[in-house]
Amino acid sequence: MGNVASSDQMNYPIHQRTLDNGLRVVVSPDHSVPMVAVNLWYDVGSRDERPGEHGWAHLFEHLMFSGSDHVATGEHLNLLQSLGGAVNATTWFDRTNYFETLPVGALELALWMEADRLASLPSHLDETSVDTQREVVKEEKRQRYDNVPYGDAMKHLVRLVFGPDHPYGHTTIGSMADLDAATAERAANFFRNHYRPDNAVLALVGDVSAKEGFKRAERAFGHLPAWNRRLRPPVTSLPPLQGVPVLQVQARVPAAATWFAWRLPPRDTPDFDACELALVALGGGQTSRLHQQLVRNLGVAAGAGASAVPLVGGNSFGLVQLRALPGADASAAIEAALTEVERLAAEGPTAAEIARAKAQYAREWLSELAALDSRADMISAYATLHSDPERVNRRLAEVEAVTLDQVAAACAAYLQPGQRAQLDYQQEVGDAQA
Amino acid sequence: MRRPEHRPEVKAPPRWTFPEPARWWLDNGLQMLAFHRPDQHIAAVSLVLDTPLSTEPSDIEGVATITQRCLDEGTATHPGPAFAERLEDIGALLSGSAGYAASDLLLEVPASRLSEALLLLAQAMSEPELRASDVDRHQSLRLAEIEHTMANSSNRAQVAFRHACIPGRFRASRLAGGTAATVAAIASDDVAAYHARHYRPEGATLVISGDLTNEVYHQAAAAFGGWEVQGTLGVHHQTPVSRTPHCWLIDRPGAVQADIRLGGFGIDRGDPRWADLQVATHALGGAFLSRLNRVLREEKGFTYGVHLVNSPMRDGGLLAVQGSFRTEVVPEALDLARQLLDVTGEPITTSEVLDSVNYINGIAPLRYSTAQGVTERVSSLVGAGLSAEFVNSNALALTRVTPESATQALTELLPPDALTLVVVGDAEALREPLVAAGWPVTLKA
Repeated sequence: MGNVASSDQMNYPIHQRTLDNGLRVVVSPDHSVPMVAVNLWYDVGSRDERPGEHGWAHLFEHLMFSGSDHVATGEHLNLLQSLGGAVNATTWFDRTNYFETLPVGALELALWMEADRLASLPSHLDETSVDTQREVVKEEKRQRYDNVPYGDAMKHLVRLVFGPDHPYGHTTIGSMADLDAATAERAANFFRNHYRPDNAVLALVGDVSAKEGFKRAERAFGHLPAWNRRLRPPVTSLPPLQGVPVLQVQARVPAAATWFAWRLPPRDTPDFDACELALVALGGGQTSRLHQQLVRNLGVAAGAGASAVPLVGGNSFGLVQLRALPGADASAAIEAALTEVERLAAEGPTAAEIARAKAQYAREWLSELAALDSRADMISAYATLHSDPERVNRRLAEVEAVTLDQVAAACAAYLQPGQRAQLDYQQEVGDAQA
Repeated sequence: MRRPEHRPEVKAPPRWTFPEPARWWLDNGLQMLAFHRPDQHIAAVSLVLDTPLSTEPSDIEGVATITQRCLDEGTATHPGPAFAERLEDIGALLSGSAGYAASDLLLEVPASRLSEALLLLAQAMSEPELRASDVDRHQSLRLAEIEHTMANSSNRAQVAFRHACIPGRFRASRLAGGTAATVAAIASDDVAAYHARHYRPEGATLVISGDLTNEVYHQAAAAFGGWEVQGTLGVHHQTPVSRTPHCWLIDRPGAVQADIRLGGFGIDRGDPRWADLQVATHALGGAFLSRLNRVLREEKGFTYGVHLVNSPMRDGGLLAVQGSFRTEVVPEALDLARQLLDVTGEPITTSEVLDSVNYINGIAPLRYSTAQGVTERVSSLVGAGLSAEFVNSNALALTRVTPESATQALTELLPPDALTLVVVGDAEALREPLVAAGWPVTLKA
C-alpha cells in the first residue's frame, strides 16, 4: 500500500473545540468548492434501545424533521433543499447522524435550524406527527426489508451472533410491535435522554475557516444548556461463538442462499483490522478465494463474498454470503466455502493477498474522503466513536502497519469454521423456479 | 449567551461553472477529455464506446453485457486471473455497464497509480482473452441475475414500465442485459465477434478526472495509442417513440406492498422542454415537500417516499411517479397521484420554480467536487450524444424556466387521461379495488 497512497499524503486539516455545554465541534476547511458540509452525530443508535423499544432511535430520527420552536413541519429539509442543499439523516447501531451540504451562504441558517430542533423538539411532539411517521417507518420497513428477498437476513444474523438481549441483537428498523408502542411522550423522553449538546459532535467541512466555523457554531449552539453527560455502562466483549448456531428460513427467494457470521473485535483495533483484511482476502473481490474457488473454478455459486461490519460496543461482526445457482441448493457452495474458511484459519493469507487487500482498503478509504459530505461523516465518526477525529489522517497508516502474522493470528483466533453462526435461506416449496 | 431569535439571512451562492476539460484526439480517433480536480486522491477514468444495444443481434440480446463482463477475466498480456490481480494490486476498481445508447467502463484508482491503470484499461479494451469458459460462466451468472432482478418488486416494476411505454421494435423496451431466452442463446463466438466489431477507438471517448499532472496526455497516449482496428463502422441510434397507454397488474402473491409506476414516455436532454421538465418533476416529486411526497408521505403516511422520476435516454425518456405503498391504500394513493399530476387547475408556482432551480443548480458544485462525480456525469452525457458543455448550458436554461413553461411541459408530457400504470403486488387483493377505482388493469405474468 505504500505505493498506492502513502499515509503521509493524508493531511486534512482538523481543528477541534468543545463548547462550554459539551458540544464537540470539528472544523476542516476545504476551499475547493463554495459549499460546506454540516454533519451532526448524536451518540445514540439502536444499541441504546431497551427491550420493547426496538426501532425507536430510527423512528425518532424521522421526528427530528417534524418541527420545532421556529421551524415548521418538514421545513428543515425542504427549506435547506431549496437553497441548494443535500439533506438527510440516518440511524445505525452506533449513532444517529443528521447532515446537510449547502452553499456556504446558508451555513448560518443550517446551524440555527439544527440548534432550534435540538433545543425545542420534545415540546413540539404530538401524537399526530408520531402516528404519521410511524406509518412512514412501517412503509420503510416493508419496502426495504419485508418485501425484498433476503430482506430480513440482517435481523436474523445479528440475533444469531449476539442473542436477542444484546445491544446489537436487533436491527435499527426494529419491530412493528415496538413501533406501535411509541408515543409522543416516550419520544420526548428519548430525546431528552439522548439529544444533548454533550452527546453530540458537529463537523463542518468545506469553504469555511476554523475561526469562522467555531464562531458560527458558538453563536448557534452556545446558548444551549449543558446536561450531565450520560455514561453508558461499560461494554463487555463477547468471546467467539461456539457450537455453530444455525437458523433455516423458508422464504420466497429467487435462489437458496447462506450466510456465515462471526463475532469480531470492536472496530478500528489492530485485531479488527486484521480480521477485516482477512475477510477481504477471503471474499472481498474478484481475486478473492471464495470468488475464485466457488464461482470461477467449481461453478457452485452465483455469488460469494465476505465483509466486516465495524461496531464500537465490545464487538463487531464479520460475514460471508453465498448465493446458490438457480434451482440448486447451497450445499456444494457451503462445503466449498467451509474448506476455504478452514484453510484460511489454519494457514492465514499470503503476503500478496494482504498487499492486495490493503490496496483495496486504501482506495475505498480515499473514496470515502473524496467528497465534503462523506469526509464530514468520517470526521464525526472518529470524534464520536473514538474521541479522535485526527485519526482520519492516520487510518491508512494503521491499516498499513498490520502484519501478515497479525492477520494469520486473527484468522486463527476469530474466523474458525467452528466459531461461526449460519443462516440458510431455502426456497419455499411451490415457489421454486422450474 | 444570548439566544439568536432571528432566522439568519442567507447569502446568495457565488457563481460556479463546470470546468472546461483539456481535450485531445489520438490518431486512432479516440477522443480524450481530462478534468483536473486538485487534491483529489482518487482518479476516475471512463471509456465510453459508441455502441448502442440496438447493434446486438436480436436473438442474442445481452451479448454486449456478457462481452463487457468478460473483459477483466484475462488479457493477452496478463492471462486469466492475473489480470484482475494486477488491477487489485494497484488498488484499482473496474466496473461498467452496457447501456442502451453506449457502453462504458469505469475505473477508479489512487491517482498515484493512474498511469499503470490506464495501461490495464487499454489491455482490457483491445486484447481481452474472452475464453469460452469465461463466457459460459458469465452467461450462467447473468441467468441467475435475471431471476434475482425479477424477484425484486421494484426492479420488476421498472422492467414492466419500460416495456409498457416503448414499442417492442425498439431495443430500449427490453432489459439491457438481455432476457433469459436471449442470454441462453449466446455462444462464445458471439462474444468474440461482438468485441471485434464494436470495440474500437474511433467514436470512443476517454474521460479522466483527478489530481492530474501534465503527463496525463502522454500516459493515455502511451496506453491507447496502439489500439488499432480494421475499417470503420457506421453507428445507427434508434429513436424510440411512445406506446399507447397501458394499465398492467403484475402478480406477486402475498406481497405486503405494491410497487407503482404511473406516467409515460418522456423526453431527452436535447428537447427544448428539458429544463422545464426538470423543474416540474422536482416540484411535483423531487423535493422533500414536493406535491406528491407532502400528501402521500407526510400527510397520509402511505409510503416511505414517492417521487416523480425523469429518466432521459439518448432519444426520448421515461417519466413516472414511483413509490411503494401498502396494499390496502393503493387505489387511494393512485387517485391522489393522478389528481396531483394534473396541474391545469393548480399550475406550478413562482416559488416552486425558484426552489427547484436553486436546488438543482445549488448542489452542482458538490456533485462535481470529486473525480468520480465529474467522470460519471461527463460519460453519461457523452453516451447520450452530448458534451460536457451541457452542464453549463443546462444551468443557464434552468434560470429561464417560468411557472408557465414548467406547467406547460408537464401538461403535455403527462396528460392525466393517458397515463400508463404498472402495479406489482398481490393481484388477488388489488385487482377488484383497482378496477372499481377506475384503473382497468390487465393481469400480466
